[in-house]
Amino acid sequence: MSEQDDIALHGARKGDRVRLADTNLWIEVEADDREVGNELLMGFARNARDGIGMKSVSPSESCDLVITNVLIMDPVLGIKVSSIGIRKGRIHAIGNAGNPDMSNNIDVVVGSGTLIVSGEGLIATAGGIDSHVHALAPRVFESALASGITSVIAQELGPYWGVGVGSEWGLKSGYASLDDWPINVGVLGRGAASHPRALAEAISGGVCGFKIHEDTGAHPRTIDTTLNVADEYDVAVALHTDGLNELSSVKDTLAAINGRTVHAYHVEGCGGGHAPNVLQLAGRDNILASSTNPTLAFGSNATAEHVAMIIASHGLHLDVPADIALAQARVREVTMAAENVLHDLGVIPVTSSDALGMGRIGDTWRKTFAMADAFAQSSSDFAQSHDNERVLRYLSKITINPALVHGISHEVGSLQPGLLADIVLWRYDSFATKPHTVFKGGIPAWGVVGDPGSSVPNAQPLQLAEQFGAHGAAPSELSVLFTNSGSELTATARRHVAVRNCRTVQGSDMIRHGELGEVIVRDALSPVEFRDQQLLMDPLTKVSLHRRYIF
Amino acid sequence: MELTPSEQDRVLLLSAALISAQRAHAGLLLNKPEAVSLMCAAVIECARAGGTHADAVIAGSTAVTAEMLLPGVSSMLRGVSVEAVFDDGLRLVALPDFASEEFVPGEVVRRQPVAAITPTAFVEITNTSSIDISLTSHIHVFETNPMLLMDRSVAYGMRPAIPSAHHIGIAPGETVVVPLIEISGERVVMGFAGFVDGPLDAPHAKQNALNKLRACGYLDSGVDNV
Repeated sequence: MSEQDDIALHGARKGDRVRLADTNLWIEVEADDREVGNELLMGFARNARDGIGMKSVSPSESCDLVITNVLIMDPVLGIKVSSIGIRKGRIHAIGNAGNPDMSNNIDVVVGSGTLIVSGEGLIATAGGIDSHVHALAPRVFESALASGITSVIAQELGPYWGVGVGSEWGLKSGYASLDDWPINVGVLGRGAASHPRALAEAISGGVCGFKIHEDTGAHPRTIDTTLNVADEYDVAVALHTDGLNELSSVKDTLAAINGRTVHAYHVEGCGGGHAPNVLQLAGRDNILASSTNPTLAFGSNATAEHVAMIIASHGLHLDVPADIALAQARVREVTMAAENVLHDLGVIPVTSSDALGMGRIGDTWRKTFAMADAFAQSSSDFAQSHDNERVLRYLSKITINPALVHGISHEVGSLQPGLLADIVLWRYDSFATKPHTVFKGGIPAWGVVGDPGSSVPNAQPLQLAEQFGAHGAAPSELSVLFTNSGSELTATARRHVAVRNCRTVQGSDMIRHGELGEVIVRDALSPVEFRDQQLLMDPLTKVSLHRRYIF
Repeated sequence: MELTPSEQDRVLLLSAALISAQRAHAGLLLNKPEAVSLMCAAVIECARAGGTHADAVIAGSTAVTAEMLLPGVSSMLRGVSVEAVFDDGLRLVALPDFASEEFVPGEVVRRQPVAAITPTAFVEITNTSSIDISLTSHIHVFETNPMLLMDRSVAYGMRPAIPSAHHIGIAPGETVVVPLIEISGERVVMGFAGFVDGPLDAPHAKQNALNKLRACGYLDSGVDNV
């Protein structure tokens, strides 16, 4: 059999180098759980048949569904070819799949009734987690799913700039709308209160954390009050600091935080926060920093788009010079460049969108890996290095690390057995830019579908659209609502999951990150410094994962 | 217009093709969705103009040339298929893949060749039937088609020593030597023709299976050797 035929039939094998989409990131397959010659394949003249690759047992004794021969990329599990067995919506086992009657070393038993998804030529990752979403329009969830995002931490469920929802009634009615989308959702309460009693309703209403935002008051007092309540209920606190430096500067904000864990949103500052030096929050053990995607893969047009974006997002006016000045103060090349470098160094552990605020929900996978590609140091030459560590580091920014930050890693964020089977399959040639299939709770919920009247499922025009997991009662059966341990919310079709361990998680816990140190921002024009190094990067005039794929 | 969902999809595709044609005309190198839309539109319009299926394949596969594409796009134009209305009705048209170029998104580079499967035995098999018979990689050769003449004893507990997903075709009257390898794992054969239906290596299992198989009239050249 020719090499190309073997790759087409069985996908990559141990030792192979794979170029991720059109990037210069080459990964090397670290392991292959299969036995050469005993690969399980589905279809005509293949071996996934009764008595051969399928054991005559029921799915409850084997698996409900197995994704075969897939290239797994996971920050915890590494990069290997294997099969993923799913039982009752959760990842049951990962390893060599088949029938132990006829094959050695079977980890994933395939039964006569097991559904089989052929994963040859595909990459499997955990579903993406977007921890910064303004759900101002319901279709934001469609864009999320079509990009490979399966969990969202939202700040609104409606077309009002809320930066957190405080109303129990507002939460309840918003939650009732979620039945349409096969996506996990948690909503942040508005952490804009001087007194804890003002936050109690959000807790009982089932928020999964709080958002402190300068538009509603990122004052030392609201920071302290919100963190006190968060400590009591073990929920995360996301922070957009005082960009006007009206009541506080970076050191005052840090004093108010007082060593407690916070999630520092868009830490570069263009999305908002202490100007010009909010980036100084990064690199501290109690500050879990994230970036929003317009500044990622620092592009040559990044500064140009941002003034208008800030004005549109924050209720400012293009014809008011004072408003333009406020917006301009947030846009700085030096911090954008530094932010990208801090990602590569493993200092900033999370990427997110700021969807419908100042970012694009469908773009986080793409921008995260376009940024990784900007630092790529690998090739197909086996004598040269591969980029496994870099790829897994960037993968952790959109999967396991946001799960740890928001206390949901006991349900999502990785492909480890026991977790929800929220899985994205990507073609090798389209990784991180357009998914092939998005599994939610083990069921295809979104993915590539073709002409519905055709004789075959893959006739053009292919579109990224709903699959069966997105219809009927399926979305809520397959998805969860992230809440808190003090939630008194009862109604909603979907299962409630209280977040946990939000108050003890630290920067040093971040997978493939945790590099700590002082980030020094002297002013809006000088290069940012970290560990006696200037963090410099030329803006990119071209990035990967975009032009070849997007109409 | 009473457009069906498929027609609505076709309108979407043809609209994309119009824009893609403008972009190509302006000298822009095309990306994947642009190229796919042009290829499919050529098929649909060829069929609309009364072309045959063969005409439409040619139209679709020549609508876009490698020179019109961004580097790397041609390798992503694999498995493009579309349905079009021909004069004899709706037909599926699958377009051939482009030849590979130097830059291939998602390229797999192999470090070392895959180890070949080493046979531990061989069996000569003659197809005495009037039809083609194929043996796939993991079948229990012992209990394959009754009209295959072979030494069934040699094939007991064995499968063809060929890569997974491959098969060996045997034409009517043809004799082939099939490489064999032991079935691995717990060596339990369940199902198939039902002659073993249990552990291969249990006491008397082989003799019992041979007796049943012969009683059912399976051709066996090894009768005298047992």
